[in-house]
Amino acid sequence: MPDIEPFSPRGMFHEGWTAEVNDYAIACGWALKGKQFIVGDVAGGLFAFEGDTGKIIWEKENTHSGGLLAMAIHPEGEIFATSGQDGNVQICNCHEGKVIKTLDLGKGWVEHLKWSNDGLFLAIASSKKVYVFNEIGEEKWISEDHPSTVSAITWSNKNELATACYGRVTFFDILNNKTNQKLEWQGSLVSMELSPDGDIVACGSQDNSVHFWRRSTGMDAEMTGYPGKPSHLSFDDSGKLLATSGSERITVWSFIGNGPEGTMPGELCHHAEPISSLAFSNKGMLVASGSRDGSVVASFLKKDGNGDPVGAAFAGDLVGAISWRPDDCALAAVNAKGVVNVWKFKVRTNLFSKGFK
Amino acid sequence: MSIKDKVPVTILTGFLGSGKTTLLNRILSEEHGKRIAVIENEYGEVGIDQGLVINADEEVFEMSNGCICCTVRGDLIRVLGNLMKRRDKFDYVLVETTGLADPGPVAQTFFMDEEISSEFTLDGIVTLVDAAHIDQQLGRSDESSEQVAFADVLVLNKTDLVSDDALDTLESRLRDMNRMTRIIRAENAKVPIETVLNLSAFDLDQILKRRPTFLEPEYPFEWTGVYDLDAGKYELMLEEGPDPEMSLVALVNQGESEEELKDGAESSVRLYAEKANTLEPGNTIPYGDHINLKLEDKGNKSFILNIEIPTKIGLFTQHTAEEFNMKVIKSDENKEIPFNTERFWQAEHEHDDEVGSIAIERFGDVDPEKLNTWMGRLLSEKGVDIFRTKGFISYAGNPRRIVFQGVHMLFTAQPDEEWGNEPRRNQLVFIGRNLNEKEMQEGFDKCLI
Repeated sequence: MPDIEPFSPRGMFHEGWTAEVNDYAIACGWALKGKQFIVGDVAGGLFAFEGDTGKIIWEKENTHSGGLLAMAIHPEGEIFATSGQDGNVQICNCHEGKVIKTLDLGKGWVEHLKWSNDGLFLAIASSKKVYVFNEIGEEKWISEDHPSTVSAITWSNKNELATACYGRVTFFDILNNKTNQKLEWQGSLVSMELSPDGDIVACGSQDNSVHFWRRSTGMDAEMTGYPGKPSHLSFDDSGKLLATSGSERITVWSFIGNGPEGTMPGELCHHAEPISSLAFSNKGMLVASGSRDGSVVASFLKKDGNGDPVGAAFAGDLVGAISWRPDDCALAAVNAKGVVNVWKFKVRTNLFSKGFK
Repeated sequence: MSIKDKVPVTILTGFLGSGKTTLLNRILSEEHGKRIAVIENEYGEVGIDQGLVINADEEVFEMSNGCICCTVRGDLIRVLGNLMKRRDKFDYVLVETTGLADPGPVAQTFFMDEEISSEFTLDGIVTLVDAAHIDQQLGRSDESSEQVAFADVLVLNKTDLVSDDALDTLESRLRDMNRMTRIIRAENAKVPIETVLNLSAFDLDQILKRRPTFLEPEYPFEWTGVYDLDAGKYELMLEEGPDPEMSLVALVNQGESEEELKDGAESSVRLYAEKANTLEPGNTIPYGDHINLKLEDKGNKSFILNIEIPTKIGLFTQHTAEEFNMKVIKSDENKEIPFNTERFWQAEHEHDDEVGSIAIERFGDVDPEKLNTWMGRLLSEKGVDIFRTKGFISYAGNPRRIVFQGVHMLFTAQPDEEWGNEPRRNQLVFIGRNLNEKEMQEGFDKCLI
């Protein structure tokens, strides 16, 4: 049996800790370099737990009237931002959860928040406008109205912000208030991810397809045939693999060689119900997926995008968000019932081993 | 998740000034035990009194394939996507569209987007019309006729501003455009809440219970009487009536069951399509022929019916028997023979509007493959003009009836209750613009086994 690898990937979820928040958990993330785990629920409750034990550090209720919509933790992990239906953004301190600054952006829902990689800027999308503030909440830039509500934002480099809406992706140089590039395509773009080098733009579209652009060459491609709209996209840290999902299946496109155009994508079929969250590990080819059925699976991928599950667990209900700890040695999932699950994660492969620290 | 667990959604449409906000306020302020979340596109001057109200700008998203049937409402997907995480806060959703909204994309959103359709179910479309102005609006804009065409319930509002005669005319115009809608007259949007919420309007059984004849096709005759006659000579006697003449078809061996009556009606429709032979009073009525009775003379007029062997005679008459006080009399005994059975039919009349309804009703089974091919082609060619489709079908070999419904070319079909002892039949209604009834009926007939 020559196909059998002598040392195939092995990994698993080990018991970590669980906790509960007050409502449907929609956002989570690791702060203070993994020492703290912050969860936001749909009603506007915020909860900070000790990363190792799950002991509650602080909690707050009703931070946004009408409800919470987004949360983003600063890359340094000392502060974080939240936004909600009240049209406000709060920048808070992670240690005590104290509000450092409240930004009032008007009546519209504030649905998207993204810190730039160096942490100098916070991008905020509310209705048809996008705003950029600095760490202490000073306004640095405002976009014109987009043609529709902005559906995704992400930083392509430290001064360049990409926005997606109906019909186009736009790149703004926010320091010089300039539009660097517009990628147009008639379709409702519901999600967007950029490769880490900022060259590949991938958008999920309402018409059940994924559209790619390569900014350097101007080439674009459309990947059709998804059973549902690909709301979930994640690039691995090398920018070679893009995991996408709009159903219970995960489709992985490999950008190695001439791909993914004309190649067969990898397929991961581990869940009974559609994927509700998807995230590559911070380093390496591990992708974690959470589903509406409450299952959480980590898969180890090969270069062609195919792969095998290396660990699975049950989170109890629809997985609202998942998050790898910065060192990838723990995975957290929060669910629609407000339950928080953190598993220690260990994996050993013939290529690298990690986790057994 | 079964349909019972899904949150019902009512869509409220209607032109500016038709009274949507008044109705909305009424719904929100009344004690009905429901917690209603409202998504509002119209920023009217009248505020919404209470409840969980979310304002959202209408965002119509067309797809790259250019198909209008795939067009959805991005704002609804966004807002409902968020609301589904707060299901403990409400148990009903009302969407108030702008006056100019096309209801198509709103309804399609509940079919096209998997995330939305897994959590929400479209309960019904309620359209308000301003009785004083709808006549002009229908002439001027496509949106208003589409809002009428899509409606499960039409609230004919502001009736106090219009005469009863004008209301009747208006109601019959609206009925022509959309034969499956329920029309409710109201002053100041005062309608019982249960007529607009929890309609299960996409559930065909409910519609049939409310309006059992909504699927009825139209016939060139209004009435049928079946007479059980022995051999002998009879007179068909008519008094003066609303018309100086009347068309009639007489059939021998006419059965009395619903199925037999419908068969007789189908034969008569074909005969009615032929040119009528005129009969003067005193002439003998031939069987299986389209004839036209001359009724100009004053007083009673008689036509002869000759029966050689005992049979049941079916008279399919242009007007009802009552209108002419029509009687069958056995000549030698001068005795009136009453009918055994009578049946009224939905009478044909002129259609002025481009938007209208087509109903197809046929007994028997269809071949699922042929039906799929036919429907597929029909919807791909005419999907843009077909606003709503509802009906049920008898698939050969399937013990359950197949219920289906659609919006433009989106279409779902699912097995429903078993047929049991009921005669197997097919009923379909299409509401759309410039639909060719004959062509569609012929197309459907080819799918029958």
